[in-house]
Amino acid sequence: MEHVINAENLTLSYGRDEPIITEGNLKINPNEFVFITGKSGSGKSTILKSMYGELIPKKGDLNVCGVNIKNINSSKLNLLRRYLGIVFQDYRLINDWTVEKNVMLPLMIGGFSKGVCVKQAQKLLKHVKLLHKADKYPLELSGGEQQRVAMARALAHNPVMILADEPTGNLDEYSSEVIWDLLKNAKEHLGTTVVVVTHHIPSTLGIDYKHFFLESGVVYEVS
Amino acid sequence: MKSLKNHLSVILPLFVLLFSLQFTFLTNKIVDNYENKLTQDYSIVVVVPKTLSKAVIKSRVKGIKSIEEISSKKILDRLKGNISSKNISLLKIALPKFYSMKLKSFPSIKEIERIKKKLLSTGLVTKVETFSKTHNKIYNMFKALKNTAFIFSTFILIISVLLMFKQMKIWLLEHRERMSIMTLFGAPFWMKSAVLYRLVIVDSFISTLLVVIAFVLLPSIDKINDFAQSMNIIIPKFDILKDSGILLGVALIFSLFIVSIVIRKMNKE
Repeated sequence: MEHVINAENLTLSYGRDEPIITEGNLKINPNEFVFITGKSGSGKSTILKSMYGELIPKKGDLNVCGVNIKNINSSKLNLLRRYLGIVFQDYRLINDWTVEKNVMLPLMIGGFSKGVCVKQAQKLLKHVKLLHKADKYPLELSGGEQQRVAMARALAHNPVMILADEPTGNLDEYSSEVIWDLLKNAKEHLGTTVVVVTHHIPSTLGIDYKHFFLESGVVYEVS
Repeated sequence: MKSLKNHLSVILPLFVLLFSLQFTFLTNKIVDNYENKLTQDYSIVVVVPKTLSKAVIKSRVKGIKSIEEISSKKILDRLKGNISSKNISLLKIALPKFYSMKLKSFPSIKEIERIKKKLLSTGLVTKVETFSKTHNKIYNMFKALKNTAFIFSTFILIISVLLMFKQMKIWLLEHRERMSIMTLFGAPFWMKSAVLYRLVIVDSFISTLLVVIAFVLLPSIDKINDFAQSMNIIIPKFDILKDSGILLGVALIFSLFIVSIVIRKMNKE
C-alpha cells in the first residue's frame, strides 16, 4: 500500500537557522488518524507546514500523496493543495468574505459552479451548526465559531487528507467536541486521512490512531 | 464605505493622469490649429532677375507648398504720375520678378535658414525675405507654450504615478493575507489576482468616463468660451470615439501594469 505521507531522514529549518527537525521519519497510510505531539517549539507545526509545502525540506525526502515536496514546482504544489484540507490554529479566514464564501473557497478553486459551492457550503455549515451565521463575517464570530468555519472549509471539497494544526487549541468544550466529531466522521465515513498536531490527545476520542512524538528534532512513533 | 474608499484611491490618480493627458492633447491640437492658420498667412518673398521655373525650385528646395508671382503692376501704377510712359516701359523690362512662396508647415528658425540658403544656392534667386523677426517671435512663443504643456503633464504624470504606487503599498497590505490564504488552498494565479484586476478595470472605465464628461462639458462653459474667443482660439471638439478610446487604453495599460507589479511582488513573497 502506498503511503499518503512518507518522510525519510527529513531535515527542516527556517532560512539559515539551525534545523528544527533533524531526523524526521514517518509513514502515514491512507485513512489513518494521526496525532503529532511534542513540547512547545519542538517542531510540530513545522513538520505540518512541510506537508502542505509551505516549508521545503533542506535534506531528506518527503512524499505527500505520491508527490516529492522537495522538487515540487508552484503549479504542482497548487494542484496538490487542492487535495488537502488545512486547518490552522489562527483559523486564517478571509475577513472581508462572508462565512459562507469562506467555506466555498476550496470549491471555487476546484472550479465548481456557484450553485454547487453554495449547496455544499450550506451543508457543511449545518454540520458545524453555523448555518444561521452564513452571511456574517468572520470577525463577527467567536474564536470557537471561527474555528468551526475553518473546519467546514477544510472539509468542503472532500479532501484526501486533513492537516490540522492545534485545531482545538483555544476553544471551548462545545466547539472542541464539534471539531473532533467532524474529524472522526471524515475518517470513518469519507475515508479521509487525518493528521492533527496537538499538545494533548483527547481521552474520549474513541478511535484508533497513530501517534508520533517529537523531541529534540527527532520524530518517534509511539506504539 | 471601505469599498468606495478603495475605488476612489484608484479613480483619483487615474483621473488626474487622464485629465492631464487630455489637456496636453487639447493644447497640442489648439497649437497645431493655430500653426496651420499661421502657415496659411506666412510666406517668403524671393526676388529673381528672370521668370522662375516653379517646378525647378520645388524640386530643389523641400517644404515649399506653392509659389505665386507678385504682380509689379501696382508699383508701376503708383509711379505713373511721376515718370514718363517711356521710362515706365523701360522700368518694366528692368524690374526684377517677385514671388511669394507658401510653405507646407510652419517652419522652425533652423528650417527658415535652411530654405533661405537653399534658395540662394540655386543661383536663380538674388534675394530672399523671410520676415524672420516676426516669425521667430511667434515660433518661440509656440515652442514655450508646447514646452509648458509638456512639463505640466509630465509633472502631473509623476504625481499620479506616485499616488498609484502609494495605493499599491496599501493593496500589498490589504490583499497579502487573502492571497496567502488562497495560495494555501492551491488557488491559481488568476483567481488570487482577480479582485485587484477587476477593481482597476472598473476604475479605469469610471475615470475615463469622468474625464470624457469633463472635456465634453468644458467648451460649453461660457467663461472658457469667452476666454478662447478673446485669444482667437477655437477649442477643438472632443472626439468621443477616438479620444475616449485613447484615454481608456492609457488607463487600462497604466493600471494593469501597476497591479501586475503588486501581484508579482506578492507572489515572490
